[in-house]
Order: sequence, then structure tokens, then C-alpha cells
Amino acid sequence: MAMDELVARIIGVTKVYQKHKAAPPVHALAGVDLDLPRGQYLSIMGPSGSGKSTLMNIIGCLDRPTEGAYLLGGDDVAKMDDTELSRVRGRHLGFVFQAFNLIPQLTVQENVAVPLFYQGIPAGERNRRAAAVLERVELADRMSHRPAQLSGGQMQRVAIARALVNEPSILLADEPTGNLDTKTGDTILALFDELHAQGLTIVMVTHDPGMADRCERVVRLRDGLIDVDEVGGKRPVTSSSAV
Amino acid sequence: MQSESVTASSDRAIGGAHPWAIEADGVTVAYDARPVLRAVSFRVEPGELIGVIGPNGAGKSTLLKCMLGLIRPDYGSITLFGDSIRSTRRHLAYVPQTEAVDWDFPVTVRDVVLMGRALRGPLGWLRAADRAAADQALRQVGMTKFADRHIRQLSGGQQRRVFLARALCQEAEMLLLDEPFAGVDSASEQAIFKLIDDIRDAGKTVIVVNHDLSILERFDRVLMLNQRVIAFGPPAEVANDTNFRATYGGRLALLDQADETLRRRSMPKDTHLDRTATD
Amino acid sequence: MIAQLQIDPTQLIEPWTARWFPQTLGSMLVGITCGVLGCFVVLRRMALIGDALSHAILPGVVVALLSLGWFGVQLDGLPPWFLAMWLLVGALGAGLLTAVLISLVQRKSRAKEDSAIGIAFTAMFAVGLILISSLPRGTHFDLECFIYGDPLAVQTPDLILMGVVCPAVLLTVALMYHRFKLISFDPVVAAAMGVSVAFAHYLLMGMLASTIVAGIKSTGVILVVAMVITPAAAAYQLTNRLWVMLVLAGTIGALSAGLGMSLAFMVNTPTGPAMVLVAALLFTLAVLFSPNHGWVFDRLRRLRLARHVAAEDVLKALYRLGPQPETGYVEPIGTETGLPPRKLVKTVARLCAEAVLTIEQGRLMLTQVGKRHARELVRAHRLWETYLVNEAGFTAEEVHATAEDLEHAHELSDALFEALGRPDQDPHGSEIPRREPG
Repeated sequence: MAMDELVARIIGVTKVYQKHKAAPPVHALAGVDLDLPRGQYLSIMGPSGSGKSTLMNIIGCLDRPTEGAYLLGGDDVAKMDDTELSRVRGRHLGFVFQAFNLIPQLTVQENVAVPLFYQGIPAGERNRRAAAVLERVELADRMSHRPAQLSGGQMQRVAIARALVNEPSILLADEPTGNLDTKTGDTILALFDELHAQGLTIVMVTHDPGMADRCERVVRLRDGLIDVDEVGGKRPVTSSSAV
Repeated sequence: MQSESVTASSDRAIGGAHPWAIEADGVTVAYDARPVLRAVSFRVEPGELIGVIGPNGAGKSTLLKCMLGLIRPDYGSITLFGDSIRSTRRHLAYVPQTEAVDWDFPVTVRDVVLMGRALRGPLGWLRAADRAAADQALRQVGMTKFADRHIRQLSGGQQRRVFLARALCQEAEMLLLDEPFAGVDSASEQAIFKLIDDIRDAGKTVIVVNHDLSILERFDRVLMLNQRVIAFGPPAEVANDTNFRATYGGRLALLDQADETLRRRSMPKDTHLDRTATD
Repeated sequence: MIAQLQIDPTQLIEPWTARWFPQTLGSMLVGITCGVLGCFVVLRRMALIGDALSHAILPGVVVALLSLGWFGVQLDGLPPWFLAMWLLVGALGAGLLTAVLISLVQRKSRAKEDSAIGIAFTAMFAVGLILISSLPRGTHFDLECFIYGDPLAVQTPDLILMGVVCPAVLLTVALMYHRFKLISFDPVVAAAMGVSVAFAHYLLMGMLASTIVAGIKSTGVILVVAMVITPAAAAYQLTNRLWVMLVLAGTIGALSAGLGMSLAFMVNTPTGPAMVLVAALLFTLAVLFSPNHGWVFDRLRRLRLARHVAAEDVLKALYRLGPQPETGYVEPIGTETGLPPRKLVKTVARLCAEAVLTIEQGRLMLTQVGKRHARELVRAHRLWETYLVNEAGFTAEEVHATAEDLEHAHELSDALFEALGRPDQDPHGSEIPRREPG
């Protein structure tokens, strides 16, 4: 696969934790290589302690690798300081979590517009873009509601809208259906399918094996290493890798 | 402008050939008929580390300028390595006080060090050898990783070391340092003194002008100056109350010292940065 | 309208382009040279001398013209290059004489440099004004053109002058670059190394006088100094390297001259003011938008830092206070951080969107990542407090506010930790969290 089709490249990344000096070091990641092509729908799976949260944190620029390189948007994120990391997070990444993390003091529209505020985009433009992305998740009629007035599924759709508003290179989702009942969860997953079909790059961390056949590619971690990396499942019609 | 550029190879023989690195003979200088130096005579051997101490206005800087050939004595003479200053100038390197430096001047650390080679090559252009010498000097003072920084982005101690590196880069036989410890914290002072020791150990003659009494014992010999030579000899011999009183005068000088001590204490410390840089 | 229609259009266009091209080219060459020389003038704080030189050239030029009469030379029969060189000699002589006069007045009287400059150049200018009246009948000297500049008066001798002086000056600067740099930065050390500082000074003055006399007809004596100072000052805003400054100043000088000249021809205004205004505009842009010292980027940096600090303060507050109710966190965290509610809610919202904070079961709390970050901050804060007390002589009561500012430089924590001999407790007796390697 040619370099210009990759959104991100992870090269030889390790992450070592040590609780205190005497304790043995924990190799949360023991050397991971991962190329992420544009438009791919990837899920990261593995038992707890396999390093999948750590990998997620590194992809999400929430943490720096101990060793190795992480190329995102042409820069090696592994070498950045905190201020630069938080700028990269704001520019290139969107996050969706199990918890919706919506601020009760702000309206739906304001919650969605938060990432734009920190990019110095003027208020009118912020509101317009927030409204447009809420339209995409079919919540245009709830713009001036507060999060407390919404159902769980709606709240997660607001969170997805917030993650999409800065047009991220990668959408990171960590157990996005964990707080929802199966039926509502399915509607959220359907929304992900739709976003993927529109060309969005998605990385999802989950322990739900049923997710695997929804995704284009599944990476299974075990003991800080990639155990299985299988491309299969659903392929979108517009997939670039088909060429 | 052309004559000084003929310095392609420095004949190091000059350092050892003559018994005296400096011979000052009855040097007298007056500004507007007010004498600043009165019949100053002394001799320095090659490879000595000399401290010139005295209060403000004792004529230390004037003496230094005489040695550099910037001021011509009204009476008396100074010869360096048995020759006139004019012809030995290229064997001298001068580290000025940093107070007068324009810190906004658009130069990096490396640019400043390279100035030590500005008069070398034909027409003053720099050659690969000059750049190598500058890199070597930067390594020697532990400033390599700051080479591309602007000079304003340095701590006081680091700034001193840059100017020291420029002098090293000149590959001179004699170094003249004007108040290299003024306004630096004790950690930087130690680091700079270590460098000075290294330079002396490499066989160079080093003259340090200083108005602080606290580090006398680190010099080979100390010249106590207050318009005239009060004493000149190894620190153990000259460091006594009589000499101090004669050099620093009475009450007034004590006040100066107190001022300096207070000023040092109120200086924002940059020990931390300096330590990490010297390590 | 009718009168205009009757004008032959070629008459309008032809003189426009015919004059515009060589004169603009010439002015741009002068612009480059002025900019490059201006760097040394600006760095050596000699802007006043530049102004003085431009005025002092008048008597030099007049004497050069007069002397032709003394030798019985007819102006009309002279080859243009000879006239150009002759005027250059006059200007050079006058420029150097002024430089000498200035240092003479300075040395022999109590007048400081600025007064000395003021005395010397006005006297020279006055001599020039008197000499003009003694020019023989028939010699046309356009004083107004000298003072205000007039591109229409720029003729072949002037273009020759530009073509000779500018390349010569630029070549000299290129050859003497390292010497000029040393002398400008550190004249005492330069002298100690054996450079003739006086020679370099007069060389610079001479080059400045030559460049000014080459450019004076297009800008005029009053504004020519702007072409020396303004582009160099603009370049000074933009870089920390001298050679970059020279290149930028030359470019800005050329741009000012070229754009100003074209503008003046198009809207039919005097060229000097147009060139100077373009230069001033470029200077203003440089002041506003310089990446290092510019006002705009400075504001942006401050804003970004303020946001960074606000985010870190919120993290630290949550670390101290523990999880807070999602509807009731504003007041306690607001008290702890001093952030106004509106800003606090925005900061919390952003941290939530970035997985540093999370809201679970109605409670706002730190995620794993957030907790680690907060610990680092607390560690930095306590290390700085220890440093301030142990090393900088503060008392334990004074240090909190200072440490509050310094903690945001937590990249230094490890070095600090080692420098302090790996302390366990801060001056208040609180535990300093260890770093989690990784």
C-alpha cells in the first residue's frame, strides 16, 4: 500500500510502565507495527491487559510511546510535548467513549461545537458546522436541548457529532455501545457503518466478538503484541484498498 | 585591513621561545590628567594563571586594554612574548564583559564562536577548518546542543561560556578575561573555572580580571592593583590584611563588597539550567 | 473628456513604459543596496548618521558641479559616465567629511553623538545651499528635485551611477561580511583582534554616501534615509540570523522601490513618498506578523498558553478534590482554579471531548490518562516549591504562587528532581509523587 494512502503509521511502538522503582516493569506494548489506510474501519480486540487501551491511548495522542514512532499527519507524534499533543488531538482526532462525556451546563449544539472553539473558529462558523454535523446524526431538532433531556442513544449520537465536527483524520471509539441496550447499540453501530461508507477512518476498541464481522479489519492483541491481524468482514463499496 | 588576515598558521613556538609572556614596565596611563595606572611593572611567565584583582576604578580594565593594544600607555611599555603588541596580537584572545553585549543582535551561539575566526581566511571568509574549530570550542565549553540558539535564549553562565568558546576558537597563546564571574551563580562559576584550568593546563597563559576576593587561591599568582601594584605573588603570600586594606582602601571598599554580595544574592538563579548543560 | 479623447494613446503609454522600466529597475537595485547596508546602520544604531549623510551630500554634489566650471569644462559636452563619477566623488568626499566632522565635534567638545550629528550635517547642508547660488548661470541645479525626489529627473548619468555603485557596494559587503558582523557586534574585541574599526566605519559611511547619492533623485534627500532604515528594521523583526536579515532587508528594499515606483507611475504621485510608504507598510506587517517577535503571533501564543494553563489547573483541582457531581463541579473547581464559570465549563467540555476527563454515573472525574497527567503536575509543583525554598532562599509560605506558574514547565521535572537530590517531600511536608516511567 502506498504511503500517501495511510492516515497513520505505528512503527515499533513499545510502552513500559513501572509503578515504582523496585517493581518489575510492565510491557503494556512490546513492539507494535500498524499501518492505518485512509477510510479503513478497524477494530482492536483483546482480553483486558492485552494492551488494547494503551494502544488506543497512543493512537489518540493521549500518551507517548516509550520507544518507536507514530506518524500522524506527517509528524512523528512520539516526539511531541504535551502542548503539541493536545493541539494534534484537537486537529486530527475525534473521540467517542462508553461514557458520553457531555457537559450538562451546555446545550447540545454548544457541546458539539467545543472542539472548534479551541481552533479559533469564529462563533457563527462554529454554530453552523455544529448544526450541520447534528443533521448528519439526525439530531437537528434537539440542538438547543440540554444533555439531560436526551435518551442514552441520543446522547451517544451527540458525542459522535462532537467527535466529527472538526473533520478528524481518525475517529476513535472505545466501547461506544457499552452503556446502551442492544437495540440502541445497534442503531449506533449502524451509524458507524454509514460514516464508514462515507469514507471516514474509524478505529474501534471493543471486547464484543460480534463486532468483528462489522469491521473491515480486526487486530487482536495479546501480551502487548499483535496476535492476529485479519482483513475481512464487510468491505464498503468505496474501499480504496479494492483497487 | 589586509595585514591582519595573514594568520593562516599560528606558530606555536612563540609561546615557549621567550621567558616572559608579559613584561609590563612602568606603565602609566592618565585620562584627562587623572592618573589611572601609575608605573605598573610586572612579569608573567608563559603558562601562568594570573588573577588581577582590585576595586572598581583601580585601573584593571585599563591595564587589560593596554595589554590588548587598545590603549597606548602615556609612559612605559608592555611587550608580549618579547615582542610589541602589534605583532603578537594574533596570539591574544580577549573575553570581554558581557554587560556591553547587544543581546538582540541577530546571531546564534555558533555565529558568535565563529567570529573568533573572522580574520583568518583570505578576505575573511570561513573555511571548513574554521567551522571545525568552532565546533570543537563549543564541545569544550559544553554548549554544542545550544549551537543554533539565539544568544538571548541562554542563561548568564551559558552566555559567558559562549564568549569563552569564541576565545578558544582563536587558538591564541594568551587569554585575557574581563570579569568572567560577574553576575553568574556559583555553579556556573565553578564550571567556568574548570574551563580556565583546562586552558592553563594546555600551556596557555591566562589573565583573569576580577574584583571578587573569594577565589584568590585558584590563581597561580595574584596581581593586586589599585592604580599601582600593591602586591604580586602566589595567593598564599599576598593574601593578607595589609595588602587587602591597601588594595581595597578603607570603609568604602567594604561597602562595595557588601553591595556585590547583596547583588549576587538577589540574582535569579540559573543553576538548574547550567547544571544540566554542564553535565 | 473631449480633450482627453484627442490625445494620441501611444503618447500616453510609451513614455510611461519607457521611463518606468529602467527607472524601476534602477530604484530596485538601490533598494536592495540600501536595505543591505541599512542592516548595519540599524544594528549599529546609526540611523541618525544615515539621515545626516543624505543631507550632507548636497555641498559635495554642488562643489562637484562648480569644480567643472573651475576647470573650464562644459557640462553639455561631458560623457554621462564622467558626470556620474564626478558627482559620486563629490558626494563621497562630503559624506566622509561629515563622518569625520561628527567624530571631531564629539571628541573635542562636550556634545554627545546626537548633538554632534545635528551640528555637523546642518552646517554641511547650509554650505550646500549657499554654494548653489554661486553656481554659474546656465548650470541647472534642481534643488526641489534634490529635496523631494523626481523620477522624471533620473537620467542616464544617474542610471550609470546606480549600475556602478550598487554592485560594488554589494560585492564589498559580501567580501567583508564576517568583519562587518564582528565589528557591529563587538567593536572592542574586533579592535583587540586587530581589525581597524575606524577604517570599517568610514568604509561603511562611504558606501552609504555612494548609495544615497545614487538613489537620491528618485527618493529625495528627506526620504532617502527611510529606504536605508525601514527595510532593515522590518527584516530585523523577522529573523535571528544576520545573513537572513541582509537577504530579507534587500528583498524588502527592492519590493518597496519596485512597488512604490510602479504605484507612483500609475496614480501619478511623487515616487519617493510612494516607495517610503510601501516600505513603512511592509515594516508594519513585519511588526504585526513576525513569527518570533510579532504582535499577532505573540497574542496567539499567549492565548494558547493561557488555555493550556487553564486545562492543567482544572486537572490539578480534580486531582486534589476527587470526583465531582456533573451538575455541581463549577463552584468548587472555580474556587480552586480561579477560572470564571464560563471558561471553566468550556475547559471541562474540551477535556471531556479529549478523554482526559470523563463523566460516569453522574460524576466528573479524571480518566487514567488524566490522572497521570495531574500527578505529573502536582509533582512539578511540589518540586518547584522545594527548589525555591532550598536553592533560591524563599520561605515555605512564599512559594506557592510562584510554583503555580513554574509547574507548567513540567518537562523540567526530572532534571529538577535529580538536582534536588531526589526529595520525597515538599517544604510543606506533602509527598512528592514519583514519576511513572514510560
